[in-house]
Amino acid sequence: MKNFAHYNARSVAEATHLLAAYEGKAKLNAGGSDLIGVLKDRILPDYPEAVINIKTIPGLNTIEENDGGINIGALTKLVDIINSPLIKKNCPVLKETARTVASPQIRNVATLGGNLCQDTRCWYYRYPDGIGGMIKCFRKGGKTCHAVPGENQYHAIMGAKKCFAVCPSDTAVALTALGAVLTVAGTKGTRTLPVEEFYTPLGNMLALDEMITSVNIPKPDPAAEQAFLKFTLRKPIDFAIVSVASVITLDQGICADARIILGAVAPTPVRAHKAEEYLKGKKLSDDTAAEAAMLATVGANPLSKNIYKLEIVKTLVKRVINSGSCLS
Amino acid sequence: MTPTQIKPSLPTLTLNVNGKLHSFMLGEGLHEVSPSHTLAYTLRERLGLTGTKISCDEGACGCCTVLMDGKAVLSCILLTVECGEKEIVTIEGLEDPETGELDPLQQSFIDHTAFQCGFCTPGIIMSAKALLVENPSPTRDEVKEALSGNFCRCISNYHVLDAVIAAARKGGGE
Repeated sequence: MKNFAHYNARSVAEATHLLAAYEGKAKLNAGGSDLIGVLKDRILPDYPEAVINIKTIPGLNTIEENDGGINIGALTKLVDIINSPLIKKNCPVLKETARTVASPQIRNVATLGGNLCQDTRCWYYRYPDGIGGMIKCFRKGGKTCHAVPGENQYHAIMGAKKCFAVCPSDTAVALTALGAVLTVAGTKGTRTLPVEEFYTPLGNMLALDEMITSVNIPKPDPAAEQAFLKFTLRKPIDFAIVSVASVITLDQGICADARIILGAVAPTPVRAHKAEEYLKGKKLSDDTAAEAAMLATVGANPLSKNIYKLEIVKTLVKRVINSGSCLS
Repeated sequence: MTPTQIKPSLPTLTLNVNGKLHSFMLGEGLHEVSPSHTLAYTLRERLGLTGTKISCDEGACGCCTVLMDGKAVLSCILLTVECGEKEIVTIEGLEDPETGELDPLQQSFIDHTAFQCGFCTPGIIMSAKALLVENPSPTRDEVKEALSGNFCRCISNYHVLDAVIAAARKGGGE
């Protein structure tokens, strides 16, 4: 791996000031499970001059209950989310989601903030520099998305315009379903941002000097049924081909509220608004689930080799509505 | 970059590997550790602990698994410079330091011939060790889950399951 300057940040202020000082040429490192691969393969047009270790910042790895809900520090490891009684009781969908991420060894180091901020897995974007040279695609300031005329079986089926890579984060899908809000710190102070608005077609909303410090999940209705399903080719160490998270509140069999989020189908997690609206006030049944599943795919515009993902979306949406609880 | 008061990492690093402390200078020299070195590289090339294998070198195969503070982690995606305060255990650290006797888990792998080429075996044993430390009597499914991040291309998996379960029955987690 090519060398870089290395810093151990002792506070959020130190980390954000270093980010600002390096003007975009520094990367934050938490678990490292995404970044180290990015650096080894030299997929970025600008190799970072500095890596800033943020694991040395105290106080960002706690899971706490407060008046507003559940607060999870950005450096909380996925294994700790899986083992947290507080998460299991209040947001089982997040526990189930974290369980499906990568492998046990990676979940022992990977953090929630890192899972949200990981770079896309598009194989053109990730093409290693060492094998014939880095591919300059739209996401790296180039002019084309090579997936459109090329191999696009795992790419976006909706919501993409110029870059067709999908958002690889599983936890983003569950957190969007839960209506979670991020706290983001920069050199000019902190701000909050719903996970739903965090992703952009070419990345995320973080400015050059910003980092996620915590995730706040408003306390879900105890009666709400939460579910997450992820379709992969292999069970461990695989990214979703399609995932669906749902939080559905039932009142005597009638759907009072529904949030259905599709993952790995677009550059951002996608709220299936039409399906959500349709379900409200309906009695849940196989027929309403099938109709909602159909509505979840409205507006999709698949590429040449990924129309099959639409069928997986429909099946998973039907299953999360019917299952009514966390299955995996 | 614009000037900043924040200093880079300390120029020295002390690693705790298998209970022994090793001090390094940070730098690009022959005996030094560079900030870009991974723990797997340092273990193999600086400490000569070649039991830890590097295969995919990007966190997907599990061959480089070591224990860090008792948890199974992938040493190929950890920066050595960030492992200073941690207790690292490699496959070489499992045997009894005085008698040289193998860990019961290692012996169980031999007794069950739980490998073919053996390249993935150190990683699998370290993942299994982490499981047995946490859960001394796992079910078969729990073993499968704990080893789901270790790939074996020779399909030694079935023998490995038997070896881990047998070691657990004998108290290999202690």
